[in-house]
Amino acid sequence: MKNIDLKSLKKKALNDIETADNIKSLEEIFKKYLGKKGELALVFRSLSSLNSEDKIKTAKKANELKQEIIDLLNEKKKNFKSTDSREEDKEKIDITIPGKKIELGSLHPLTLTIDKIKDIFQSMGFEIIDGPEMETEWYNFDALNIPKDHPARDSWDTFWLGNGLLLRTHTSPVQVRFMEKNNPPLRMITFGNTFRFEATDVSHDFQFPQFEGLMVGKDISVANLKAIIGEFFNKFFEQKIDFRLKPDYFPFTEPSFDISISCLICGGEKCPTCKNTGWLEVAGAGMVHPYVFKNAGLIPRDWQGWAFGFGIERLAMLKYKINDIRLFRSGDLRFLKQF
Amino acid sequence: MVFSYNWIQSFFDKKIPKPDKLVEVLNLRFAEVEKLTKKGNDFVLDIDVRPNRASDCFSHLGIAREVSAILGVNYKMPDFPMKKKAGLDINDFISVKVKDPKNCLRYTALLIKDIKVKESPKWIKERLEACNIRSINNIVDIANYVMLETGQPLHAFDLDKIEGKKIIIRKAEKKEKINTLDQGNYVLNQDVLVIADEKDPLAIAGIKGGKKAEINQKTKTIVLESACFYRSSIRKSVRELKLRTDASIRFDHGIDTNLTRFAISRAGFLIQKLAGGDISNNLIDLYSEKNSAKKIKLEFNRVNSLLGIKIPEKEVFKIVNNLGIKIIKKSKDSILTEIPTFRQDINIQEDLIEDIGRIYGYENIPSEFPVASLISPKKNLDFFWEDLIKKVLKEIGFSETKNYSFVSNKDVEFFRFKNLIELKNPISLDYNYLRPSLIPNLIKNIIKNQNDFNAIKIFELGRIFQQPKLEKKMISGIIATKESKPKDTFLLLKGVVDLILKSLSITDFYYNEHKPTPEDSSKSIWNLGKCAEIKADDKEIGFLGEISKKVLKNYNSKLNIFVFDLDFQEISRLSSEQQEYRPISKYPAAVRDLAVLVGWETKVDEVLREIQKTGGYLVRDVELFDIYEGKELPEGKKNLAFRIIYQSEDRTLSSLEIDNLQNKIIKDLEKNLNWEVRK
Repeated sequence: MKNIDLKSLKKKALNDIETADNIKSLEEIFKKYLGKKGELALVFRSLSSLNSEDKIKTAKKANELKQEIIDLLNEKKKNFKSTDSREEDKEKIDITIPGKKIELGSLHPLTLTIDKIKDIFQSMGFEIIDGPEMETEWYNFDALNIPKDHPARDSWDTFWLGNGLLLRTHTSPVQVRFMEKNNPPLRMITFGNTFRFEATDVSHDFQFPQFEGLMVGKDISVANLKAIIGEFFNKFFEQKIDFRLKPDYFPFTEPSFDISISCLICGGEKCPTCKNTGWLEVAGAGMVHPYVFKNAGLIPRDWQGWAFGFGIERLAMLKYKINDIRLFRSGDLRFLKQF
Repeated sequence: MVFSYNWIQSFFDKKIPKPDKLVEVLNLRFAEVEKLTKKGNDFVLDIDVRPNRASDCFSHLGIAREVSAILGVNYKMPDFPMKKKAGLDINDFISVKVKDPKNCLRYTALLIKDIKVKESPKWIKERLEACNIRSINNIVDIANYVMLETGQPLHAFDLDKIEGKKIIIRKAEKKEKINTLDQGNYVLNQDVLVIADEKDPLAIAGIKGGKKAEINQKTKTIVLESACFYRSSIRKSVRELKLRTDASIRFDHGIDTNLTRFAISRAGFLIQKLAGGDISNNLIDLYSEKNSAKKIKLEFNRVNSLLGIKIPEKEVFKIVNNLGIKIIKKSKDSILTEIPTFRQDINIQEDLIEDIGRIYGYENIPSEFPVASLISPKKNLDFFWEDLIKKVLKEIGFSETKNYSFVSNKDVEFFRFKNLIELKNPISLDYNYLRPSLIPNLIKNIIKNQNDFNAIKIFELGRIFQQPKLEKKMISGIIATKESKPKDTFLLLKGVVDLILKSLSITDFYYNEHKPTPEDSSKSIWNLGKCAEIKADDKEIGFLGEISKKVLKNYNSKLNIFVFDLDFQEISRLSSEQQEYRPISKYPAAVRDLAVLVGWETKVDEVLREIQKTGGYLVRDVELFDIYEGKELPEGKKNLAFRIIYQSEDRTLSSLEIDNLQNKIIKDLEKNLNWEVRK
């Protein structure tokens, strides 16, 4: 008569359960030990060959083992339930339900525009400088070679303040403030609010941000201005941009230019946006006037350089195709949340 | 300023480019042509002559000179051989006295006797009309014509109407009155320069003629005036009288004093031709100083270095020559030039270089990168923090707005602002003070959006202004919501402030209860039970809380509004970029919860500080995870549940050690008899 070795059977079964790593193998273990032709079935079938005392003892042990295996299998099954793919299949997700809304805020389009400008110029070694919005007449006008009672002042209609200061009409005062404190060679940009006493319409506002660049050295020239400005346009608009300098007049630069880019809407073919000229005026620029150097405490014969000034809103309008300048300060979230 | 194409053409024998081509040429080489309009068989160019060139180019002659210089084609001023009447002495008819030579730089007068005033011929009328000037009669028209031609304003007086036969140039007397042509009536102040006879002002100098000595059909003899007035004086009067004329815009830009004689001869010639009469054999010409030609040295090196291109010397000579500038000396590196007096804008060699550059053509200058040292720019930390805060706020759902830097009378009334900076010339009553706070405009943003959104989160980073000269940046944000769970909103916003400050590595800050004086509290814009001062370094760095219902009602807000308002300058000063890594402890952390029953008036912060004080460095973190106020609790009590994390950096803490510490904390907490630790 064959000796029924329940001890080693138990050892084997426990080991199998222990090493099982998915539900399927647990089912196989069940079949292997508890199935109709399983190991325990064999044990029960072979009981008949035992004497009655052994029969009772063995049957009890075999039943205990059977229960133990069932418990262990169930226990182990729980572990797998959550990870087994077939189990998950039962819980089907309607993937057409819209995703849960995670609300992200937005940055103002002028902030995004300024960020881009800052990045481009910083990568070319330009320092970023800040300056006050309330200015003195000296920095806003006189130091920039715009004397009192000069017709040139008519170009800058000014808001005058009760405390004797004025609201800067351009960012150019920062040039003088910066040159007073720093020795050339210099590379800087500055930006911020400027104010002019003007009526508002779709393309003019009485408060508008500008950005201004200044580069001064021993031999900084118009040719250099063209290179830096060209690089800025290409990077800012992320395409090759044609631009041109035309004669203009600013008291604080000599020579002075206005800078136009080939119309982004029609590509120079002439359209209403560019008033049928094919060109869009975007900036004023020029070689720093010797008097401005002098007023900032530099010796004009020793230095030369250029400065330029852009309306940031104009750039943002071109970049994001915004058609009304007044939207920027409307506070309308239907506009702001698009950025 | 508008110019007639045909008139410009009349200065040239050769054909100049067609109107649209001429526009292109002027755009690239001179100034922007803003409009080109066909008018009959003529074209009108609206040229934005820049202020520096007004003195010579507010005239057809000036534009013709520019066209000539740009194209290298000769121009010619028509001849004007004036026939003077021998023996006709102007001094026998009139005397001129300049009492204010500082403001009347030159006064030139001519007498024409026995003229016939009548209608102007067609060609004069057409040219005036092209330039939007109405034809009056031949005398007045010729004065205007010569102004449009040469840039010199002229004026004709009827000799018979000049009392005392005296012309006096003087300041107006106090409250002196004048009736001008075009039916104007002006009361003058003592700053205004007038042309007067013995008794009355005959004209406002350089601005407008008077009715008294007006030319009409009966006029037989005229005194023709061609004068130059000091531009600042004219500007002042224009502003004072709010009277801007074709003459005044020329004078207030400054005119070459040498132009008076040239223009008066031209006008005399035309009058004689069209109105007949005898011209006095002499002029009256009074001036104290002659405008003499400037000499400017032009260095080739400077030309090339400034423009960034080597322009051949021959080319420089040609351009200078075409501009009518004389070269009086040539040397190896430079030339000495003599600038014609009509070019008042050329004062230094850079002015001359501009003319060389623009006529050479800016498009012919190459793009060339500068040679500069390869140093990275100095970092501007203020902007760095600004960017960081904006990004943090964006990521937690706030939208950035940008508002005008002004507030209205109403805002000031609602907020009871003090120390405001007022605008002397506001654009409207909505914008008549500089904003002393970002909050009013942010609230207006909420009102603007409250019909489209139920919950709004916005912020602005911008400058505020206060007397006497304070200007500083603030960062303010709003959570506006329909829900009325003020505590939740308050705590959410407090969390936002925590996050902003922590992202700037500011840790030593705390919130203080706002305790206004009784007087202040009645005026406060804050809901006093729901606001806090934000403090660091013993200074208030900001404020946080709910806006009072009274203010909200004033603005018609449908939403509850919670605001934080931080002083950017202060937080930028406190912040530090140096974030140090704190090693993660190798030893396990143990967590213990602790519930304390306290009076409802007890601040969470008081309990927290006590736990930290006792716990010391082994308490890594304490977190408040629940506040409960409910029926099951004794009256006036609330339950605070804390989770304390114990951890050491150099060893594993035993449970005994942790239990002892926890018990010590409990004991210390219960020293306060109003606090009961729940076990």
